[in-house]
Amino acid sequence: MLAYDPGESAAHRLDARTKLLVQTAFAAAAFAHTTPSGLAALTALAVVLLAGSATPVRTALAEFRVVLPLLAAGPIVEALRLGAPWVEPTAAVAPALASYRSLLLLGLAAAYVRTTPVRESEAAVSWLVPGRPGRLLGVGVGLVFRLLPVLQADLARTREAMRARLGDERPLRDRVRIVTTAGLNRVLGRTDRLAVALRARCLSWNPTPPPSSLDRGDAVAAALAAGLLAWAVWPAGAV
Amino acid sequence: MSTTTEGVDLVGEEVVGNLARAALFAALTGVFAYVSFQLPVTSVPFTLQVLGVFLAGVFLGPVWGAASMAIYVAAGAVGAPVFAGGGAGLGSLFGPWGGYLWSYPFAAGVVGLGVHGAGELVDPGDASLARLVGAMAAATLVVYAFGTAGYALVNDVSLATAVLVAAVPFVPAEAIKAAAAVAVVRSDAVVAR
Repeated sequence: MLAYDPGESAAHRLDARTKLLVQTAFAAAAFAHTTPSGLAALTALAVVLLAGSATPVRTALAEFRVVLPLLAAGPIVEALRLGAPWVEPTAAVAPALASYRSLLLLGLAAAYVRTTPVRESEAAVSWLVPGRPGRLLGVGVGLVFRLLPVLQADLARTREAMRARLGDERPLRDRVRIVTTAGLNRVLGRTDRLAVALRARCLSWNPTPPPSSLDRGDAVAAALAAGLLAWAVWPAGAV
Repeated sequence: MSTTTEGVDLVGEEVVGNLARAALFAALTGVFAYVSFQLPVTSVPFTLQVLGVFLAGVFLGPVWGAASMAIYVAAGAVGAPVFAGGGAGLGSLFGPWGGYLWSYPFAAGVVGLGVHGAGELVDPGDASLARLVGAMAAATLVVYAFGTAGYALVNDVSLATAVLVAAVPFVPAEAIKAAAAVAVVRSDAVVAR
């Protein structure tokens, strides 16, 4: 499962905001230059970035093995025709490039997740969205990270219990309803306790932010992001 | 050495309660992304995320339902493994299925508006069947409009291909989810607090 992996790589030392900026700039450049040469250049950059974040390419790909068949489906369906000649390979070129672009973006996202602790992501969200909505969003994001394993265990127990009672043989609609009811009851049961716990810890609008750690590495990464953004707005034919 | 003093501005009781609920529903939607069932006959696997969207709208209302889904999307964007199949990261939002993710806050808002109207929240168990079904049908439309448009845009395919690949296989599953949501809301098994 995709999760934070402590380490000492260059990307681990970067600020979460810088990494989000680089990802956004990379995405902008990839969308602006979805050509074989553009994507080749970006692939080289992505390999360098993955190497700098202690994420082997194989690991990044493995994280998204579920998505890979879906990425392949687009070009295949687009190339098929309902009459002769049945298959038109040229129609699949643009979708194939687009699918490959998605793969690059997902790889970078994997690198971000593996190198960024939850607390920093939370602070980055609060910083990116100003004011009280940002504060609520930041707290909410932190809570999702903490509650996910808890609710996952709840639902896993429910499904196990259902299987033990031959629930697998019930109609699909019943199975979905049972899992939903169990999940919902756990959620509603936890709400009051969570609210009390938040108040007991004096949840405030103006918490002390974690120490900012912008250093030289962040400046380099920001320069890279600026370069990518400039390349993205540059007319594609001019390069 | 200088010190600064600042008063603590506590978050109000009502907002804390709503925030707790919103975060829990966001997490529930994230867990639903792992719960995969197979449709009979076609054996297309589907996850229950959209059910989380429906429930957030029904139980939290338009404003906090949308906020809950915004928390869900933001948490996924910064790395919580809450997207389908345990996916995460900004890449998913710009990826082929990103359109679906962007639609969730809007869809939850649509469900909330449909069930509760614009004013005070009502007990979802009291909402009429037509209201519940209508709200969820409208939300499903929103989800698929965003989803197929996103797929067509990102994958550079025609809208027809996008509908064929990204929407048609999953529509029967949406009906099952909506039916489950209605059954759950109208049963006595769940008590909204």
